[in-house]
Amino acid sequence: MERVRARDDAAFEALYDAYHRLVFGIGLRMLGDPTMAEDVTQTVFLKIWSAPDAFRGGSFVAWVSRVTRNRALDVLRSRSARPESEIPADLPLDGALEDDVFARLDSQRLRDALATLPAEQRSLIEQGFFAGVTHTELAERTATPLGTVKTRIRSGLQRLRRALGEEASQ
Amino acid sequence: MNGDTREQMLEQVALFALGVLPRAEAALVIAFIATDDAARAEYEHLRTAADALALTADEPVDSARTARMKERLMARVRADAGPVGRRGAARRAAPARGWFLGAGLLAAAALVFSLVTVSQDVSLRGDLAAAQRRAATLQTQVAQAERTSARTRDDLTQTLTDLVSPDARHYTVAQGTVVVRGDHLYFALSRLPALPKGHVYQAWTAAKGSAAMQPSVTFTPNGSGVAVVELPVDALKVGTVAVSVEPDGGSKAPTTTPTFVRPLT
Repeated sequence: MERVRARDDAAFEALYDAYHRLVFGIGLRMLGDPTMAEDVTQTVFLKIWSAPDAFRGGSFVAWVSRVTRNRALDVLRSRSARPESEIPADLPLDGALEDDVFARLDSQRLRDALATLPAEQRSLIEQGFFAGVTHTELAERTATPLGTVKTRIRSGLQRLRRALGEEASQ
Repeated sequence: MNGDTREQMLEQVALFALGVLPRAEAALVIAFIATDDAARAEYEHLRTAADALALTADEPVDSARTARMKERLMARVRADAGPVGRRGAARRAAPARGWFLGAGLLAAAALVFSLVTVSQDVSLRGDLAAAQRRAATLQTQVAQAERTSARTRDDLTQTLTDLVSPDARHYTVAQGTVVVRGDHLYFALSRLPALPKGHVYQAWTAAKGSAAMQPSVTFTPNGSGVAVVELPVDALKVGTVAVSVEPDGGSKAPTTTPTFVRPLT
């Protein structure tokens, strides 16, 4: 990112090569439309190029994922009036997985960790992350009592975090 | 806060970490996180798990799409980077041949580059114009949504960042915490008593070395006694803060016994 800040387009190209699959994939999962996901990908990377200082350290993967989710949420909101859920910003976290740990957690390991969750927890967490909906909408979509939705999400995230800790330490 | 309420708030923390909490409810969670060490630890723990979910979307993209996206993006970036920024230091040697020659080379390079870019676009990507029109339409739609949400999001983001930052200073009061980060000063209060009708809470500040209280903002907590307030002051100059209950519209000097007085030391 230092080289991108220095307007080095070769460094930016390398960044794109490394992360475009992730950005496009999040856009596709959230919007369900490859063309729109492509446009979101372009918007996200242009933001990185035009405002690299927006990344203030920590895990780049986590940061670019949040930027992408927020961008896709903007698209979803532009399609219809929706309650605005709040995606936590790029906060400095004492206990966050660091970049090197993230690097060891690839897509397959994540899926393996997710697979350890009960189906009802996994489904709510994945829908919550990728559908851009609020917990109330999740309850309506799944015909599940709101209190149950909350409990399952919390329990599921705790379980996933434990599984990730085990994966990262392997 | 009793045990049941606390558990409910911790569930809200999990929802916030996943990003499924409506903005209005998120503000309450922020106040909770800022005033409760265990809640903050839980938030950090769960948000890491939530962040990692993004990796499940990292899947192969077909090569034609990858090439098209990259071409489209890099054309914009290279046009913006300019010849000096392009390909780093290797190209920075050119101006050493002299300003006139250097300027001529740069102009020629720019012309050649633009021609090459255009010809590549035409020959390799017949759908560029359609893609650009589509992107323009999308940008317009997104801009509309952003105008209504970006300011609120940016403000909330800054508040959230300041409240939970490891370098923020926290000053405990019976009703919550006073948080100072840099020149920003916040009240993150979660145990405010209900107000009498026709009254508000009012913040007061005294400059370092002074006992004179200056009136600041008024605010009203939500039904659960929660309020997150940024004071419009330079925190670096403030020595003491206080809150009191005042008539609607606020007062020029405190008219009731302060709810709390907290020196920032």
